[in-house]
Amino acid sequence: MEIALSSQLQMQAAVAPPRKRHRRSRKSIVPGFGLTMGFTVAWLSLIVLIPLSALFLRAAGLGWSEFLAVGFSERAIAAYRISFATAFAAAALNGVFGLLTAWVFVRYEFPGKRVLNAMVDLPFALPTAVAGIALTALYSPNGWIGRFLEPLGIKVAYTPVGITIALIFIGLPFIVRSVEPVLADVRVDVEDAALSLGARPLQVFVRVILPAILPALLTGFALALARGIGEYGSVIFIAGNMPFKSEIAPLLIVTELEQYEYGAATAIATVLLLASFAMLLLINGIQVWTRKRMDP
Amino acid sequence: MISLHNISKSFGTFAALHDIDLTVRDGEFLALLGPSGSGKTTLLRIIAGLAFPDEGQVRFNGEDVTDLPVAERKVGFVFQQYALFRHMSVLDNVGFGLSVRPRAQRPAKARIRARARELLDLVQLDGLGDRYPAQLSGGQQQRVALARALAVEPQLLLLDEPFGALDAKVRKELRRWLRQLHEQMGLTSIFVTHDQEEALELADRVVVLDRGVIEQIGTPEEVYMAPRSGFVSGFVGDCNSLPVTVSGGRAEFDGQPLDVAVERLRDGPARLDFRPHDAAVSANGHGLPLHVSGVYRRGGCWRVEGAVNGSGQIIEIDLDADQPAPRLGSQIAFSITRARVFAEEGTQ
Repeated sequence: MEIALSSQLQMQAAVAPPRKRHRRSRKSIVPGFGLTMGFTVAWLSLIVLIPLSALFLRAAGLGWSEFLAVGFSERAIAAYRISFATAFAAAALNGVFGLLTAWVFVRYEFPGKRVLNAMVDLPFALPTAVAGIALTALYSPNGWIGRFLEPLGIKVAYTPVGITIALIFIGLPFIVRSVEPVLADVRVDVEDAALSLGARPLQVFVRVILPAILPALLTGFALALARGIGEYGSVIFIAGNMPFKSEIAPLLIVTELEQYEYGAATAIATVLLLASFAMLLLINGIQVWTRKRMDP
Repeated sequence: MISLHNISKSFGTFAALHDIDLTVRDGEFLALLGPSGSGKTTLLRIIAGLAFPDEGQVRFNGEDVTDLPVAERKVGFVFQQYALFRHMSVLDNVGFGLSVRPRAQRPAKARIRARARELLDLVQLDGLGDRYPAQLSGGQQQRVALARALAVEPQLLLLDEPFGALDAKVRKELRRWLRQLHEQMGLTSIFVTHDQEEALELADRVVVLDRGVIEQIGTPEEVYMAPRSGFVSGFVGDCNSLPVTVSGGRAEFDGQPLDVAVERLRDGPARLDFRPHDAAVSANGHGLPLHVSGVYRRGGCWRVEGAVNGSGQIIEIDLDADQPAPRLGSQIAFSITRARVFAEEGTQ
């Protein structure tokens, strides 16, 4: 009798919602969460959070009206516009041609493939100033390429076009290296399936391949964009750095620093940082959305 | 009617297919059976238009389609790993073939969805249209792939190892169901398999391929009971092989003459093949001695394994399970009731 009763009680207990969740039930099967999370937080704080919050603190010291005045001065706004527009254009162009490059590397075998593949990473390794000087030499009105563009009325060096070219150079590896592994993962038989169902090659690309690699492409795009916004070394040589015309935001920050205007520099940096963060967050959101559709 | 004429194909120096002639009748369920590397998948892809032969012709109803790409051949192709579009819902997967048609022939969106739902009903997946492929089991994905292929109303259904990735029970169910579907829709179907049991169970005719050459074409019964080559004999069904010597129209094993008819074979070494069920224990102790090293139940039989005559040659025979099983380590004598003798490879 007692046994029957106790089992009945147990059943009731099982049916009734647990009042207090047991600690043990939350334990993950992958051990070491506490330790690794601790290290991650400490590391991120040291490397990213503390320097950035110092930046915010410094900017906060300005006071709201002064912050607006220097952070959104006409010159600063022009610089943001140039920075974001060129970074966006460069990332977008890289999206197209970087994808093409990744496609060629994944799908075809050809002599010299390894050498060419290694060359894609060069923009990572090269000191950016070297790249900037080389590009300037090429595109200046009497440079190897610039001299042919000059008669056509196309000015590259010392204009936003030049900035964009420098940023394309800097951003290419981000796209190629993000897309390559995912593209290699797209099975050829999925393309065959689409073809066998009557799809034309363009339809296969747009409806089957592109959706599969879109999250990776967006990652590459976001990385290239972020790098482009912050890029300094390669741009300053080719940009000409004329305020309102070809002055990028990072350069403006350095200019302010050189004039000991630390407050102005941090204000501009804060605006730049927040805008970049918002854009990256947006891209991340799109990514999560596309990925969720693939791996529900 | 599909006909192949003198199809050859090589990849680099590797000859995948050599001089293949084959006719597939309307409404037929045909199996391409062979070990890996036999060229069976390549042949299927050539029929589909996913690969092109170096030489020879593919004809659909007499019309030369050799150079026609897959999109224009009106075939349904089911891939080994299903090749579903992971970013599309099941319904969109099934409707894909209709939705990529040129605008003039493309049905309205609602019509495509309705048709896709009909097909999902047909493959018994009604209600799963809004799921994504990753949310389905292997068997369900396989049926989605089939529904997707059927959506374009193909005259020919081609299946590459359709049951390869499924577990045994699901495989058996799907096989039976596919056979029914084939009858019901009046399709002509060709499937590739390396599983001889599957080919024998499912197909009207079996094409046995080895190293890019057709070894035999015939009904499952013909291929099993009257294999035309040593390869077919060894590959289709369980088979024991014993090295024998042919002299004067008789086969001898280890000096012992066997009661087996030998036709058209020159004197010399040969290979004798017999199936496990074509053996019987001799009551009088005459026959080949078998040292029993393993016994297990296989349906209504004892499958007995052992070495023949100490030669190290391991064979398997089936004995009636109504009789007590032979003890391990004991020696029994058996006779072969039906066998075939083939010339040794390369000496025919």
